[in-house]
Amino acid sequence: MTSSMKLCFVTVGATASFHLLLQAILDESFLVALREHEYTHLLVQYGKDSQTLFEESLSKLPSGNCGIEINGFDFNHAGLDSEMRLAQANSSEGRSGGLIISHAGTGSILGALRLGVPLVVVPNSTLKDNHQEELARELQKQGYVVASKYQDLSTAVKRAEALPSRMLTWPPVNGIGQRRHRTLAQVVSDEMGFLD
Amino acid sequence: MYLSLNSLMWLLLFGGVTGLTAVTLLFYALSTSQNTNVPKWRARSTPTHLLVVLGSGGHTAEMFSMLRRMNFDPSKYTYRTYVVSSGDNFSAAKAVEFETEYLRHKSIDNPAESYTIVTVPRARRVHQSYLTAPFSTLNSFWACLLVLRGRHADQKPLPASMISPYPDTILTNGPATAVCIVLAARLLRLYNYIGGFFSSKDPSQKHGLESTHYQLRTVFIESWARVTTLSLSGKILLPFADRFLVQWPALEGLRAWKGMRKTEYVGMLVD
Repeated sequence: MTSSMKLCFVTVGATASFHLLLQAILDESFLVALREHEYTHLLVQYGKDSQTLFEESLSKLPSGNCGIEINGFDFNHAGLDSEMRLAQANSSEGRSGGLIISHAGTGSILGALRLGVPLVVVPNSTLKDNHQEELARELQKQGYVVASKYQDLSTAVKRAEALPSRMLTWPPVNGIGQRRHRTLAQVVSDEMGFLD
Repeated sequence: MYLSLNSLMWLLLFGGVTGLTAVTLLFYALSTSQNTNVPKWRARSTPTHLLVVLGSGGHTAEMFSMLRRMNFDPSKYTYRTYVVSSGDNFSAAKAVEFETEYLRHKSIDNPAESYTIVTVPRARRVHQSYLTAPFSTLNSFWACLLVLRGRHADQKPLPASMISPYPDTILTNGPATAVCIVLAARLLRLYNYIGGFFSSKDPSQKHGLESTHYQLRTVFIESWARVTTLSLSGKILLPFADRFLVQWPALEGLRAWKGMRKTEYVGMLVD
């Protein structure tokens, strides 16, 4: 069964609940979109207070969940690295490269970028003082991620399929063409008074 | 009547001049102590003390991401102090992980005594009343002063090679505790500068004063998540931090007011 596993991992983070995102990914239209792109698994990190919502949404789905195997858990205090890796292509374990859909928390974004897994960032527009949308938009502009509203996730899956070919290397390297900046090591050295 | 009005005028003039002089002197002292110079040079083998302010999941994860990316060299920054807020076990655990798993591999000459983790009370807990917040903020500020002077209960004695209790450089990316630490560092520097006027004759003290002149330097790094606007901590600390680094071009060149140091755009520092 794992011979052609393709997984989509969804994370809402630890601090704030994100019910709109959960409802959007447990919607029939989204599962159909996943199926169209040959996904087999959906793994959801739904947060501490959202277990009932997760189970309710599951029960509303047509039997067979549109051919997607769905699993969920509240949170992993050891970090989500191992879950994110399930979306990474691994031929020896029979997995083709999947997708991560994440809230716009920096920890999750950096985690996915480090693994090089295509990432769809969904800012939580209900949060106060929302600077997350700017981050998502800027990262999309530079070609690192796909930014999406929770309403448009079906098209975001399609856009993410095209992402790997264009995805830039992470962490960004300061190339010859780019402006030279002082690195953090240099700044701290400056302050300490090291000359080398 | 006429006379008393005249004397009142003189009194006002006198008071005005005195007040103006005092304010000018204070500003002079402030600006001078704020613009301490970094040491002209420092030999590579000199012991150094770096203080890193951690706080809340995102900030802490970003900070260690940056320290890894800068290829942190424990033989260069020989002693590290990590400041965490009370109740923040995640940050404390990450600091231990960074020290024991990451740095241990980098250098064999990196004993366990080369770092310490200090817990300071929160300025304001979530859901705490705004009535009591000023007191808890003062409490937190006081703890920060103790940390900087090496007098906090959590602190082990510094290695004997350290001449001063003050950290050389303070590195932070903007949790609430950072505001207290940076302001406390500034206050200590002002205090040392003014204290320098009154105890200048004794040569042994003179030496001590000079070494404090280039300590307690503060480096503020605006969070990677801040693309077009500064965070609240950033806005507060813009006029106070010695170096203010930003990771997105839209934040480059900001300053508190005319004539002050500008923010430096350094590109993405995270990995």
